[in-house]
Amino acid sequence: MSIEFKLNGQSVRVKASEKDMPLLWFIRENAGLKGTKFGCGIGQCGACTVHMNGEAVRSCSITVAQVKDTNIRTIEGLAKQSGELHPVQQAWMQVDVPQCGYCQAGQIMAASAMLSKNPSPSDKDIDSQMTNICRCGTYVRIRQAIKIAADNLAKEVV
Amino acid sequence: MASTGLDRRQFLKSSALAGGMLLSINLPMFRIANANTKASSDWCIYVEIKPDNSVVMASPVMDMGQHMKTTGPMMLADEMDLDWDKISFAEHCPAYLNKSEEGEIGYQYSDMGTGGSHAVRRNWDYMRTAGATARQMMIDQAAELWRVNPESLSTKASYVVHSATGKKLSYGYLAKGAATKKVDKSRIKLKQTKDYVIMGRDTYTVDLEQIVTGKPLFGIDAEYPGALQVMILRAPAQGASVDKANKEAALAIPGVIKLMDIEAQNEEYWTKDEKQIVSAGIAVVAESLWAAMQGKRALSASWKPSKAHQDQSSEHQQAKFRHLVAGDFEAKVRKNDGDVQAAFSQANRLIDETYETPLFAHACMEPFNCIADIREKDATIIVGHQFPHMVAEEVEKNTGIDALSVEVISQRMGGGFGRRFERDFLREAIYLSHTLKQPVKITWTREDEIERDFFAPAYVMRVKASLDENNKVTGWHHRQAQTRGGARDDCFPAKLVKNYKTEHFEYPSKIPTGPWRGPAHLQWTFAVESMTDELAYQANEDPLAFRFKLMQPHQAHDYEGWGAESIDSGRMAKCYESAAKMAKWGRKLSKNHGLGIAGHFTFGSYAAFVIEVSVSEQNELTLLDAWGAIDCGFAINPNHIRNQMEGGFIDGLNAALFNKVTVEKGQAVNNNFHTLRWMKMKESPNNIQVDIIQNNFPPTGVGEPPTAPAAAALANAIYAASGQRIRQLPLSDSIRI
Repeated sequence: MSIEFKLNGQSVRVKASEKDMPLLWFIRENAGLKGTKFGCGIGQCGACTVHMNGEAVRSCSITVAQVKDTNIRTIEGLAKQSGELHPVQQAWMQVDVPQCGYCQAGQIMAASAMLSKNPSPSDKDIDSQMTNICRCGTYVRIRQAIKIAADNLAKEVV
Repeated sequence: MASTGLDRRQFLKSSALAGGMLLSINLPMFRIANANTKASSDWCIYVEIKPDNSVVMASPVMDMGQHMKTTGPMMLADEMDLDWDKISFAEHCPAYLNKSEEGEIGYQYSDMGTGGSHAVRRNWDYMRTAGATARQMMIDQAAELWRVNPESLSTKASYVVHSATGKKLSYGYLAKGAATKKVDKSRIKLKQTKDYVIMGRDTYTVDLEQIVTGKPLFGIDAEYPGALQVMILRAPAQGASVDKANKEAALAIPGVIKLMDIEAQNEEYWTKDEKQIVSAGIAVVAESLWAAMQGKRALSASWKPSKAHQDQSSEHQQAKFRHLVAGDFEAKVRKNDGDVQAAFSQANRLIDETYETPLFAHACMEPFNCIADIREKDATIIVGHQFPHMVAEEVEKNTGIDALSVEVISQRMGGGFGRRFERDFLREAIYLSHTLKQPVKITWTREDEIERDFFAPAYVMRVKASLDENNKVTGWHHRQAQTRGGARDDCFPAKLVKNYKTEHFEYPSKIPTGPWRGPAHLQWTFAVESMTDELAYQANEDPLAFRFKLMQPHQAHDYEGWGAESIDSGRMAKCYESAAKMAKWGRKLSKNHGLGIAGHFTFGSYAAFVIEVSVSEQNELTLLDAWGAIDCGFAINPNHIRNQMEGGFIDGLNAALFNKVTVEKGQAVNNNFHTLRWMKMKESPNNIQVDIIQNNFPPTGVGEPPTAPAAAALANAIYAASGQRIRQLPLSDSIRI
């Protein structure tokens, strides 16, 4: 029995023999999507954050078997089909957040999942929900970008 | 004609691409034995001007988060008067190398290394001269076509303009003819600061969209045809070797091709130490990374510890350091200005305190990786390394292949911080590909990265300082013990305190250490700026006013240390002043709040920070806002200078609060982020306001200067808020956060 799930809207199938493979490695090595990053392998740093049914999850710490029948979205699938970037990506560009850039896809996935549940997060909300590590320390800009994205998302709704 | 004439420095080559022109600027400073032509169809410092007037260019220096991939092109593009919006930037940066007659490997064109915050300093003249030369060639070509005096022409946004007639021609049109022009050195005019149109303005990261959309920019993302995937089970402790391993189980994993024993490799390090550059282990060679990972796990190896490393413990070492600096043992005298003993004997007040810093991990966000394809006579290496010439050198050393036959493709680096200066991850990949006669890609884990780190050395620093009856600092005695690496005793208070003595003990250790972001600067500043604060409180003076007094008279002194020629107390004072002004120093603070200040000079740049904290009755620390001022000479890209100031300071705060690796019996005990705590959003300051001091000194680096003042600024703020003076990092051992 193979395992099926959706990856950025497309159905994918994994051999049952590979059911214990961490989702991260399936995404990077089998699907060839390199935006999701390996940072610690134990769910601590968040560089591998993706969405599972809209929730932020750390793909290094869940297996392919655990995502059966779910919708997985990676950074490559965050922009609209038209190519228009997600408001969080746009805000990241507006603030010019990155330094080395390695953790930023995970940060963006964490932020976009948070904003989908909580469209106007307080500083405290950001503190408690943005738990990804940025080794370069771009936290000040990440916070600014989240606030800009929240404002822009609010405008979209109006 | 002078051999350094710019006419000899330059040549333009036709690109193979659709009639475009490729510019490279060649410097005759190195004797070129055999220029590496392999990579010449790619882009590096080159500027390709296409017939439609669009341009492709790249930085000589790869990005590891220090923003050089943006800054490098800005320097050239401004002098060339390119239209920044019409430039696209190449992802990869092949290394252009040469070799001296003595066999020393260097860079053929611009300096491609990054470390010591030198990338801006070392490329500043080169990149501007390259741009100005190319601009003059465009002018000369237009002058020839229009039959006018070149002096009557100007350039703007990738066009040559004849203002008398209003005629203009695009660089794209002129490029082919311009390629044949020779420009005498005397005609190269560099712009004045006021004429810059790209530099001095906020410019965005050139790879920004690729980063936020997850494009494969990093070494770990790179693929190579036919490359075997390798994971190495490495001995977790220094010197250990494999005792037992279940090789059958590993080989039974589908996709595992082969297991290879890796011998430990040691080399002499510093003066009397040996450094293990490659640890013993077993390489699992597989068809896929997942197979290699499973194979590695299936080995379930046990290890034979090394007897020689059983006594290697960071706590034990720190205790020895304390013992050394506390006693009367004779240390190596480094500096001895005036007479500290006389100053101390006449002192009105004397303070004697000891400050400690632990081993810091690098924890580069991207675990190391390297693709190596070692062929019979040449090789290709795809890797993110701070010094591309070392990559080629390593191939030559380990395989005998001429370094100039090595194609080095530099990838964007997920952090460097001095760790990507080391060669261990190169050597493993080179060895495996050379032995297997196949291309390989090795990937490290986080545990590998921390267990095999070359940590920042640990320090114990005892500082004794005296005040006279006017509360002037009259004597300063810094006595430290550490494993390797020195003291930044050319920095302040050198030159400011008349009687100044520094000395150190070098303690033999097998715990590996190496450069860590601004080597020894943060540690030095923690001791110096904590002591300066303690002196101010002893003197019952405001810590800011006390520092202003210490910086008097404002004067530029010769700097004997690495990375700068002079150190100016006036420029330092200005940074203190600006940071304090932004923080509204002296304002009335809420209960349990405090402001701390610290500043430092790192590799030519000056930075000072103020941070506000609160410490609750339950001894709970909260970091509030911070304000930082930097003087890095002319500010090429204020946006990225601010970004470095924010991030570099936060890295320093992380070092102050959390970054401590504990080594027991030669093994890093806390080997991943569950046990090595790292700063996250919730501990970080919400805002960091940055001021860039405006002046016209040549630009200096910003990658390291913001980090050094962080620990002292934070410790000083904690004292101001709570009366608690913490002299030992990590601060979180003494205060809750």
